Amino acid sequence: MFVRRPLPLLLLAAFLVSQAMLTPRMILADDAPPSDDPPAAGEETAATDDSEKEAAAEQAQPPAKPANAFRKAEKKIDDAFGKVNGYVATVFFYPIPLPARSPVVDDSGEQKLGENGEKLWKTATMPAAVLWLVAGAIFFTVRMGFINVRGFKHAVLVTAGRYDNPEDEGEVSHFQALTAALSATVGLGNIAGVAIAVSVGGAGATFWMILAGFLGMSSKFVECTLGQKYRSVRPDGRVLGGPMAYLSNGLKEMGLGPLGAVLAVVFAVLCIGGSFAGGNAFQVSQSLDAIGEIVPFLDRNTGNPWVYGLVMTLMVAIVIIGGIRRIAQFAEKIVPTMCGIYVLAALAILVMNASQIPAAFSTIVSQAFAPAAIYGGAIGVLVQGFKRAAFSNEAGVGSAAIAHSAAKTDHPVREGTVALLGPFIDTVVICTMTALVLVITNAYNDPQYAEFVAKNQGAALTSRAMDSVLPGFRFVLGVAVVLFAYSTMISWSYYGERCWAFLFGDGASLSYRIVFLVFTFLGSIVSATNVLDFGDLMILGMAFPNVLGVVLLSGKVKQDLDVYWAKYKAGEFEPKDTPTSETAVES
Amino acid sequence: MSWPPSPPIVVPVDFSGEEVAAVQTALAVAAKPEDVHLLHVLYPLDAVSPGVVFAEVGDQERRDAVQVEFDKILAKHGLPKLQHQVRIGDPGHEVCEYAEAVGAGLIVVPSHGYGGFKRFLLGSVAERIIRNAGCDVLVTRRSDAE
Repeated sequence: MFVRRPLPLLLLAAFLVSQAMLTPRMILADDAPPSDDPPAAGEETAATDDSEKEAAAEQAQPPAKPANAFRKAEKKIDDAFGKVNGYVATVFFYPIPLPARSPVVDDSGEQKLGENGEKLWKTATMPAAVLWLVAGAIFFTVRMGFINVRGFKHAVLVTAGRYDNPEDEGEVSHFQALTAALSATVGLGNIAGVAIAVSVGGAGATFWMILAGFLGMSSKFVECTLGQKYRSVRPDGRVLGGPMAYLSNGLKEMGLGPLGAVLAVVFAVLCIGGSFAGGNAFQVSQSLDAIGEIVPFLDRNTGNPWVYGLVMTLMVAIVIIGGIRRIAQFAEKIVPTMCGIYVLAALAILVMNASQIPAAFSTIVSQAFAPAAIYGGAIGVLVQGFKRAAFSNEAGVGSAAIAHSAAKTDHPVREGTVALLGPFIDTVVICTMTALVLVITNAYNDPQYAEFVAKNQGAALTSRAMDSVLPGFRFVLGVAVVLFAYSTMISWSYYGERCWAFLFGDGASLSYRIVFLVFTFLGSIVSATNVLDFGDLMILGMAFPNVLGVVLLSGKVKQDLDVYWAKYKAGEFEPKDTPTSETAVES
Repeated sequence: MSWPPSPPIVVPVDFSGEEVAAVQTALAVAAKPEDVHLLHVLYPLDAVSPGVVFAEVGDQERRDAVQVEFDKILAKHGLPKLQHQVRIGDPGHEVCEYAEAVGAGLIVVPSHGYGGFKRFLLGSVAERIIRNAGCDVLVTRRSDAE
């Protein structure tokens, strides 16, 4: 498919956004700061008359100076994001009632009492997208016989290159595919997202985040196995795959062609949105907070954040439009080093506070099940944990299947097992490190950081928490965060572009890249909360078509897994110079 | 239109299967098989996909892979040995430029035959070639075209 006319589509998108700007605003509740006594998820908040008052004030005042005009333009764009978020949230984050209760809290965060002094409760709800991901992850874990546990050792061996065969079809080794997928997931989600989860959901959110990472390993296994199974090989030897391919081709095989086509298109549209938002604007937005901590000129509130947005836009442009591969290579290859530095720093903080670790774990577990009322009850905490984990490791979202489909192998299941290491490294290891640092330093509860919590500026919160123990570390973190953000953006631009090509053809890349750069810049001027919400909606929304399709295709994966595992156990895959009896060991 | 066209005759190939009829048409028109040039155009490599980032995929590897595909398709359909080329760039532009460079008298291009909304969205390489070619263009239509 070749596109020659992307312009009408861009005009259509611009029209839809402009229409959205004319409609009442709705506010997402789940990430609102606790002190604001958030409404239930998906609840609508009526538009205020502020806009009318502002309009009247504008008429009464002399023409605005350029700086003021720029601020107003920023605000209008920010408001437009808020409105679009509200619409999409009513569908994706529709609050599903659960057979559980959550406390009714007052403005101070205390649980409200009834006339007779009894505590007041309401029916607990869970955003539809989060419930969908949780249910999917549990289903895949059970259906695949706890592959996240029994496949772990095999995954490590495969990633280490034990079974690499350069003659196999594909582009990159198992290790390189995992690195590519991790460069998209490891980033601000681990540093900023975790801080948001812990500050909004309390220490208990950490427990649910780790559990989500553990279950997410199974989701990742299934989707990346399918990514390999239904990948296509182009005449030039390039290998392309992902949810677009397995949803359309896999479901067609099952006689569900029309459903597969719809799911593939919906997935592609949401993935493009995710690449603009969570994989791009969110990265700029949160890294801006960390860099603002060390370069006041760029501070979001008192400086010139747009300068940072412009620099990042140019840096991304020279890669995705200029085609400077060396920069992309540098960005991808530096991710493991940055991860190492970050984990070592977090470990140093934990070692320096080793005596507090048992108490921290105790707090995490106790608040997971019986949190303070302000955190919205156990379900509220669970939602935060699962949501931020899913945003960070993308398990069930489908994105990583695009990267893993490029691996050289003749066995889709083999790459699936490699992929299950992603959520483990991303969430069970790195996110837990961040969470422990925040709990041990008590930064998430510290009144002096309340502003960061209120504005969802998670990277700044983590930066302050680590700097309080390792003075000067905020400078290292600032650099690390920018590099993480950059590599994530580069990787997500690839995901988004593949989906764009699926819809409009390979020839339409330039139009995608231009819109991507627009969002890179917008990330610096739209408020952190609106960028966070938009990213959540798009990336978690991808789970709807993906998990549904993967559940329907899970029988095929199970069959392949059983065959592969029997051969693996029998030692058929072992290198010929290795004694079978020693190596055919199951973890 | 001058008929029969002066050699060579260029046939763009996208390996979708639709090019076979176009190749056969070109062979029927050409005085000898050597006058038919097959051309495949690759889009330029991106800078962000895993294969490129880890320097596992390059333009030379891609060209070599396409040459193998050319041999396969000729053998599969019992076609004689024909000249085949690989270029990198925008397909519509590259086909016209190649035709001009070799002084082609005719381009035989297969059409996807899309109609309605799909056509509005996708446009076609054939359309671009018709607009930009400096020589005659013959479009073969798919039997199942919309």
